[in-house]
Amino acid sequence: MTRPVTDFNAMVAGQGGDGSLTVITLLGNLLARRGFHLYTSRNVGSQVKGGHTAGLLRGTMVPRTGMGDSIDVFIAFDAEAIEKGGSRVAQDGFVVYDSSGGPLPDGHLSDGVTVLEIPFGRLAVRDLRRELFKNSFALGVISRILTIDDADTAAVIKARFAAKPELVDPNLQAMIEGFAYADEHDMAEGAGPIRLAKVKADDRILITGNDAAALGFLVAGVRFFAGYPITPATEILDFMTRHIEAYGGVAVQAEDELAAVNMALGAALTGVRSLTATSGPGISLMQEAVSHAGSAEIPLVVVDAQRAGPSTGMPTKSEQSDIAMLIHGGNGDFPRIVLAAGNATDAFELAVIATNLSQRIQGPVYLMLDQTVSQDSSTVPPFDLTTIEIDHGRRLNQHQLDVIGEYRRYSITDDGVSPWAMPGMPDGMSLVTGNEHDEWGKVSTEPRNRVDMMDKRARKTDAVLDDLPSGHRFGDDASTVGILGVGMQSGVMRETVELLASDGIELAGLQPRTIWPVPAETLAFVASKERVYVVEHNHSGQLAQILESVGHSTDTMRSILKYDGIAFTPLELADRIRTGEAG
Amino acid sequence: MTDTYRPAEPIWCAGCGHFGVEGALLLALSDLSIPKEETLVLAGIGCSGTIQNNLGTYGYHALHGRVLPTATGAWMANPKLTVIAAGGDGDGYAIGMGHLIHAFRHNPSFTYIVMNNGVYGLTKGQNSPTRHGTRPIDAILLGLSVLETTFVARGFTRAPEQLRDLTVRALKHARAGHGFAFLEVLSPCVTYNDTYALWDAEYVDLDTDGEHDPTNRSQAFSRVTELHAEGRIPIGLIHHTERDPTAALADPSAADIGPDSHIASYEDILDRYKVERHNR
Ligand SMILES: Cc1ncc(C[n+]2csc(CCOP(=O)(O)OP(=O)(O)O)c2C)c(N)n1
Ligand code: SF4
Ligand SMILES: [Mg+2]
Repeated sequence: MTRPVTDFNAMVAGQGGDGSLTVITLLGNLLARRGFHLYTSRNVGSQVKGGHTAGLLRGTMVPRTGMGDSIDVFIAFDAEAIEKGGSRVAQDGFVVYDSSGGPLPDGHLSDGVTVLEIPFGRLAVRDLRRELFKNSFALGVISRILTIDDADTAAVIKARFAAKPELVDPNLQAMIEGFAYADEHDMAEGAGPIRLAKVKADDRILITGNDAAALGFLVAGVRFFAGYPITPATEILDFMTRHIEAYGGVAVQAEDELAAVNMALGAALTGVRSLTATSGPGISLMQEAVSHAGSAEIPLVVVDAQRAGPSTGMPTKSEQSDIAMLIHGGNGDFPRIVLAAGNATDAFELAVIATNLSQRIQGPVYLMLDQTVSQDSSTVPPFDLTTIEIDHGRRLNQHQLDVIGEYRRYSITDDGVSPWAMPGMPDGMSLVTGNEHDEWGKVSTEPRNRVDMMDKRARKTDAVLDDLPSGHRFGDDASTVGILGVGMQSGVMRETVELLASDGIELAGLQPRTIWPVPAETLAFVASKERVYVVEHNHSGQLAQILESVGHSTDTMRSILKYDGIAFTPLELADRIRTGEAG
Repeated sequence: MTDTYRPAEPIWCAGCGHFGVEGALLLALSDLSIPKEETLVLAGIGCSGTIQNNLGTYGYHALHGRVLPTATGAWMANPKLTVIAAGGDGDGYAIGMGHLIHAFRHNPSFTYIVMNNGVYGLTKGQNSPTRHGTRPIDAILLGLSVLETTFVARGFTRAPEQLRDLTVRALKHARAGHGFAFLEVLSPCVTYNDTYALWDAEYVDLDTDGEHDPTNRSQAFSRVTELHAEGRIPIGLIHHTERDPTAALADPSAADIGPDSHIASYEDILDRYKVERHNR
């Protein structure tokens, strides 16, 4: 009667302090040991403690970046969890419900769902004197549902609490109580209702986009970081604070975002690769400085981990509504590059590329993430650290400066990039300013000079067009119908395309990784299709507007928009496309 | 030998106090024989925010109000540089005031010279937070009230020798790694707020006052508040303490970023994310 599973979705939900996330971690470890690819996500309110929290976990045979459509196993620590999440449980799914606080509320689960009601919390307090142990109790029960060997479950618990030995025994005890409960309910070891498939296991890491990006920046030689805490960008500040010092660098928690970005500018001015990372209101505050980096020609990298706006919006929810600001924000016209990562691997690779590009164009480069890409974790192949290259662009060493004869900080060149000497270098003295200036850096409003300088700066991005990261293609390239999206849409678009293909609807997919300047690849893709679905998490179709602004007709582009803070699932997105195709 | 920019001629109105600040700074740099290539002068936005163009050092024109964080970043990235931040009272005490308190608190080893003229010169005469008769703020008192401050002084362009001396002391303090050297200069704007006569009548020189002990913070605080009550404005070295230079500052500008030398340790970080497999 055991049903094999190849795509397993679990959810654990309860009040903030319940430890939902611990169960997800442990369950993830169990799946990973069997070779499953993982994706994990959290659904939290903005409050620090308490408030409803859900941890989500997906284990798959092939890598997936996103949750599936329905939940196979749902551990609900209270009635609210059932009320909020019950409808997501699959027809043949399992609900393990903590009945300590009352009976299972009616009317939230479909008929086929198997429910196990156990007063975990009460039993944990009674037998182990701490409610928190209910998590391992629950894990014991689930591992039996999934036909996982008891010894495996014990091993992940031991590993998890290795640093706190006093917690190992009570957690194991709780797990054994979970086994005992399973024994009484017809789920003996090796004979659960679900059996996980065996997957070929290769080396993998489980990492969030934020950590992957932060590691990429470190490896790319970033040695100065300034930030101000803000969800969902804070983990980059945390990572840098933990690691940068060991490499001779400095990470600062500034007094606000204005300070953070200007500190990064000051550090960049001295030739140190400098970074700041922020979100929402913080990226608004930084616009003046990004414009300044454009005018004064300072290499600056800014991560925007987007969250739902406007204003303080929904800090813990995902959105892609800063696209227009990143591309057009900041006063005046100045060149900039905007890269967008769709998963952790992208985040790592693009962090390296963004850092080098900022040096090459001596100007601002954004790495755009969104809460989903930033904070969800997935298993990906370990990053290749052996092929990283550091590109110094047109930076001068002392010898090169000495033979140049005459040094002008803003000398006008064919590709717009001026050779660059750092403070501290003899004979390289310069004036750096955001005011319009002549080649020497002296403030100037002379019309001819103004035009030359504007054109010079604009040429810098043209010169790197061929080196901007290309996008990821998927689906059937020959199809006349395309689907296009960035960031959090990347994983779900792929699954949707596979799903529709199995119904005979073929789509060509593109996930651009450079969104500004709009690369030739994107232009050609859109131009070659009769219809392109542009999938975005925002209200106004910002990405489609950008494509329109570079000449694409709105007749062929169809926006698929969502702005409720929740990522698309494959079926949901497929339905939107089916509706589009029917109309 | 490579040539670079020629220092600009000041753009200030004849009689502007900012000339005095520039003169004192140039003398102090030469008194201390600080090479120009090792000097980075960052200025705010305002008439005052053009001083960096006239010196022949590395110069940077920060955003309005942001000269302190920019200087902080530059100094942290390369603490070998002699970093000097300069700007107006609007720049430092209005739009940029939030940063001043944090600079006092963090005590980074660079010099900050505020050219206080009680007015927004560049935008033609609006009140600044220090304008006489507008419930003005006193940044010296503010500095004294942040317990981390190590150097708080005020000069007056009418007392050029003292101003040169205070500038020298400020630069020495910062260069020795004692921390943030804060020097406010009464620097009248002859065009929009001519305060020469006013300050001539109001100033009291604490450097020549045998009673004043600049190492005693609370005495300095009381003295400054008492003088305010009398309608007087103190100049001189108001407060000074020597902090032990911060042990072994990081110097990111000298960090080795070549990936090859770090691959093993980058791999160690990556390893922390490795997924444990069952049947390896
Ligand atoms: C964000 C921003 N707001 C306003 C201005 C306009 N602005 C330029 S200088 C200045 C005030 C300068 O006064 P102060 O700092 O006292 O310098 P002073 O000219 O008196 O030396 C203002 C408001 C600006 N450049 N940037
Ligand atoms: S307007 Fe005032 S501050 Fe500006 S240069 Fe003239 S006198 Fe100096
Ligand atoms: Mg002023």
